[in-house]
Amino acid sequence: MRTLDWIVLLAAMAGIVAYGLWKGRRTRDLDDFLVADRRQRWHHVALSIMATQASAITFLSTPGQAFTDGMRFVQFYLGLPVAMVVLSITAVPIYQRLKVYTAYEYLEGRFDLKTRTLAAALFLVQRGLSTGVSIYAPSVILSVIMGWDIRVVILIIGASVMLYASLGGARAVDNANFLQFLIIMGGMIVAFVTLVRLLPADVSFLEATRVAGKLGRLNAIDFSFDIHNQYNFWSGLVGGCFLALSYFGTDQSQVQRYLTGESIAQSRLGLLFNGLVKVPMQFFILFIGATVFAFYQFTQPPVFFNPVEAEHARTGQHGAQFRAIESEYAAAFEAKRAAALGYVGALRSGDAAATETAAQTLKAAQERAGTVRAGAIEIVKEFDAKPSDANYVFLSFVTRYLPAGVVGLVLAAVFLASMSSTASEWSALAGTSVVDIQRRLVRRGAGDRYYFVSSKLATAFWGLFAVLFAQYAGHLGSLIEAVNRLGSLFYGTMLGIFLLAFYFKRVGGTAAFVGAVAGELVVLYCFFFTQVAYLWFNVIGALAVIAAALAVNPLTKRQK
Amino acid sequence: MPNEPTQNRKESATDEPPPVGGSWTTLYAAVLLNLAALVVLFYLFTRAFG
Repeated sequence: MRTLDWIVLLAAMAGIVAYGLWKGRRTRDLDDFLVADRRQRWHHVALSIMATQASAITFLSTPGQAFTDGMRFVQFYLGLPVAMVVLSITAVPIYQRLKVYTAYEYLEGRFDLKTRTLAAALFLVQRGLSTGVSIYAPSVILSVIMGWDIRVVILIIGASVMLYASLGGARAVDNANFLQFLIIMGGMIVAFVTLVRLLPADVSFLEATRVAGKLGRLNAIDFSFDIHNQYNFWSGLVGGCFLALSYFGTDQSQVQRYLTGESIAQSRLGLLFNGLVKVPMQFFILFIGATVFAFYQFTQPPVFFNPVEAEHARTGQHGAQFRAIESEYAAAFEAKRAAALGYVGALRSGDAAATETAAQTLKAAQERAGTVRAGAIEIVKEFDAKPSDANYVFLSFVTRYLPAGVVGLVLAAVFLASMSSTASEWSALAGTSVVDIQRRLVRRGAGDRYYFVSSKLATAFWGLFAVLFAQYAGHLGSLIEAVNRLGSLFYGTMLGIFLLAFYFKRVGGTAAFVGAVAGELVVLYCFFFTQVAYLWFNVIGALAVIAAALAVNPLTKRQK
Repeated sequence: MPNEPTQNRKESATDEPPPVGGSWTTLYAAVLLNLAALVVLFYLFTRAFG
């Protein structure tokens, strides 16, 4: 890190904290604290929604995913615009007219207390655990690449967010999210422009893109249907739509964002803007990863992008073998580079037969380099059972090749992305804890001032919990993976409950509750005993809840 | 039935037309058409570079 990078990074972080505090300085009551007094305009709602969804991992892992697997991950988002339209028609008017603080509050009016409490509890468990991972995951990558102490990184992110989120509430969070998202996207655009300029002078951007495409990194759309395949058009459109319906319609960290809109129209416009720009945005971030891949066809990459694990391998029991593989990889890379330049030359010649031959040579060289790399990964497996360096590709590239100032800007983008999603989560967790649990079940009728102070304390509590969880997450091993999967296990059930509430007016509370329990059991069965891709869990869970509730509903009515 | 403040609050938010496009239906159609156009573009992109 050079001085200019430190200046940019610290200025961005300090600026955001100061801006959040300043914007939240007039937060006086519960309405202010939980829904920013419902005064936000659509552009604030829109960017706050997008900043909440785009965590640091989005900007670290997504380019790495394109680097290793191509751009097919973009299909994951295809259902999102459809969900934005459905929610604009259904959820937004209901939540806005009832002036609820949380999505779960609506469920009591529609069903009963136990259904509301079940939904709130599912949210608190799932989001409460994952908020620690939201800080831990990017902190690991930052600490490995930058050589920083992970405990310090976690503390800096946690303390920064806690300052403005616990003092200023949703008003501070939403305003900070707005600015954070602009800085994040600015950072990514500057990184992309610089990356393009780093491509070899004798290879055009289009030619480099064609090399990446020929090696399978520009596979944005796949129309084949396979229920075991995570990312194709159908799983993205249908499974992704159900996931987005659940996430944006029932997860309080998102619902709270558009509850801050000053009218139905402003909240709707915020969601619809997200529906318009989210897919192109994800395409752009993936394309950055594909361009990094193209860059590394002409500049030698490390054999393994996680520098700490590579160093362990280099100095470990099989160090000599690992070093020999590194030399072999360098030779394989030179052959591949020559093949890539040969392919570019063939493209320029316009000779179709020569281009095809050069493409085959390039693919063979890529396969050879991949085989050599696989040998290195086998050695890394000695101390990491599931070695994957995809998350380290982008930041490793940034710190090695981008100029002073741009490195600081990209690092600032990563920190701010972590802060924005974390702040929204803590604010939503606090709102649900106070409104759905404390005010409804523990201490009723205590007055606005009491719940306002409680909300501040609850935000601080969830912040402290997340930071402590993140500090110990390194010792939790596979539990972290389980927490990451937790969301996909609950979202279908949550969506099923809300779909019943919105569209099945004859279904009562007890039937909805029984349906929710039955739906969750079906999802758990699919998770433990089938190979169904997780995006389909949302569809299966939601439909199972509805089917079970409809089956039970006549029985519950008869009992009454 | 619950006796939460939720139920006592007035249903004050009113539906209003969008600032652009004339009607909400037009805006919804625009979002869905934009998605369809993106899918076509991604398909052409995959065909051109894949």
